[in-house]
Amino acid sequence: MSILAQCGYGRGDKIEQGLDDGAIHGVIMSPRDERRERLEQDIKSWRSRYPSALVMFDPQFYAANLNNPRNGHLSEYDYYNKNSGLRRTHFSGTRIQGYVRECLDYQQETFGSNLAYLLSPTILFDAFRDSWSQIALNMAVESADCHANLDTPQPLLISLVISETAFQAMDPLEEFLDALTEIDAQGFYIIIRSNSASVQNAMESAPFGRFMYFCHVLTTINEYNVIVGYSDWHSFLLETAGVTHTATGWYQNLHQFSLTRFQPSSGGRRPRKRYSSAPLLSSPLINPELQDIYLARLLPRVLSGSARDTSLKNGPAAGEANWTDEISCLAHWHSLNDLSQRLSALPTQPERIQEAERLMQNALTLYAHLGSQGVSFDPSTGPDHIREWQYSLQEFRGLAGL
Amino acid sequence: MMAIPQLTVEQINTIIPSASAIQEVDRGGQKIVFSGIIDGRKYALKFMAPNPSQAGGQTSEFLDDVASRAQREVETMQQCSTPHLVGMGPIGLSITSIAGEPIIYFSEEFVEGQNLRSCLEDTGVFSVADLVRLATHMAEAIKAIWQFSKIHRDIKPGNIMRRNDNGYFVLLDMGLVFDLQDESLSLSPVGTPLYFSPEQMDFNNRRTIMSFRSDLFSLGTVMYEMATGTHPFTQDAKTTWEVLGNIANVAPQSPSVLRPDFPERLSDIILRLLAKRPALRYRSIELFQRALREVETEGGVQ
Repeated sequence: MSILAQCGYGRGDKIEQGLDDGAIHGVIMSPRDERRERLEQDIKSWRSRYPSALVMFDPQFYAANLNNPRNGHLSEYDYYNKNSGLRRTHFSGTRIQGYVRECLDYQQETFGSNLAYLLSPTILFDAFRDSWSQIALNMAVESADCHANLDTPQPLLISLVISETAFQAMDPLEEFLDALTEIDAQGFYIIIRSNSASVQNAMESAPFGRFMYFCHVLTTINEYNVIVGYSDWHSFLLETAGVTHTATGWYQNLHQFSLTRFQPSSGGRRPRKRYSSAPLLSSPLINPELQDIYLARLLPRVLSGSARDTSLKNGPAAGEANWTDEISCLAHWHSLNDLSQRLSALPTQPERIQEAERLMQNALTLYAHLGSQGVSFDPSTGPDHIREWQYSLQEFRGLAGL
Repeated sequence: MMAIPQLTVEQINTIIPSASAIQEVDRGGQKIVFSGIIDGRKYALKFMAPNPSQAGGQTSEFLDDVASRAQREVETMQQCSTPHLVGMGPIGLSITSIAGEPIIYFSEEFVEGQNLRSCLEDTGVFSVADLVRLATHMAEAIKAIWQFSKIHRDIKPGNIMRRNDNGYFVLLDMGLVFDLQDESLSLSPVGTPLYFSPEQMDFNNRRTIMSFRSDLFSLGTVMYEMATGTHPFTQDAKTTWEVLGNIANVAPQSPSVLRPDFPERLSDIILRLLAKRPALRYRSIELFQRALREVETEGGVQ
């Protein structure tokens, strides 16, 4: 498994640097945040510059039925602009066929072989048995049918945008999987709408364990490719569930998916700078948390080993000014990629699960040691999320019988 | 429910004068089957009729149901072309009447061989090679039917024959074939309860969840039985309802536990076919076939 860049506003040249560094292996583009002309141009140029990179275009059709969404550049794209402001009654069979065809045609005609996969349009749903989930399923089936009639070598990934709340109950989830696994496609591009605003943990433990099971059934059992967007620190756990790739971006709203991205901005201050530590499986604040670790002479224990770490070696507080968003993002990708690579190098799923358990146990031990040396953490960066992940993994193992 | 038509060899001779050497070979719940020679080849001649108690005053819906089932059986045989499904004979779907009673009939290929139930009784459990062969041939049969969005719904040892001439396994009796794209012919679950899939019992919801994966489950039950000599869901069950409960809720023991020399990989395949949820079986017949080939190549199956 490898990490992909989840694009959003403020891309700069992070993608090129990430691909050059080998910290990411592809890109999921966000039309909402890009001028159409630039996006189309960049996708085409990446093909020649990075022939092995996986480049995808998330059509973000899921914003089409939101109330007064902040569309950004999405309105520059006909497949979206013609169809925005949709209500429940606008999803008849014929209309769905139209949305699907326009969306896939755009990707196919504009990018052709520059994309690794075509991504289907979808809409968000909150429960596996609600009427929106049925619409999403209908869109998925129509997308597979439409793709089968397209003259394209690009395989199809069925997009799904699901609320975390849908993973509260198992029976509806299993029924949905029964229906989903009847679809003939290369795989799925899945986004989970998070309930949480936590820096480390986008989902509650039990729903996340069930989501891991959901991915396991699609990948390990049914051999679909599954790419999970906005997955951030969950990436290494999703690796144990067999997920093919995960994606994360640079700002918090690209680490976790939330509809606030499509709602009017309420402003706010710039987030505090963080460092993504693979040994801690979290992103402590540069100042004071990482600085305190440095003062306790334990900084090497928490560094991930990225070339970007040099900015911090003379003391995180001193290096904070140089710890730009770009460096922070590249270091973050590096840490996640490092964890994923470590797991994917192991040949079997039980070994990967065992390694994930070991990584979490080591992180807890390290947190305890840091605590004993007087380093304290804000609750948002403390070790609680790791205990929740342990529970998630346990839940997943139980459901999957592993 | 249809009853077995009360027919004699003489009556068959009257209905099909071109047939000779007519013999009764099987009498099932819904039909009577004779063998007969037509143009020098032996065929099975199948006859069906409405329940005698309803004869005379029977409703047209009932007759339609009988005819529709037979029509679907014939249509499926005509559509599907594989040596692992029984083929049509020279007499297509026909209707006649005997003593005022309507009789529906048609002919199909007569498969000379032994069904799995009697194989099991005669020679005991199958070798690994025979099991893989059985599964491979049945996968072809299920695939051929599913190509037309249909499900067999009655895969069981009594409906699978091993041919005497080439050892091929052939799936018989498409009288219960379910067409996902057509109107339902059943007002209640049909098939043989011992070989039901969990979703086959879920009558209210079955159009959305029934697929070839239901047939894969039934095949899993047959394979389990042919591998171990025991049915996976009858242990401790005294009634059909208890068996159905086991099918829905009980995970069977691994075949390799019951038969220690049995390859783990094949055991896993059988257990996967027997998964309670369709999503946990194989999402395509090709994936199932690939898994079987892996057993053949990696397991050194002779």
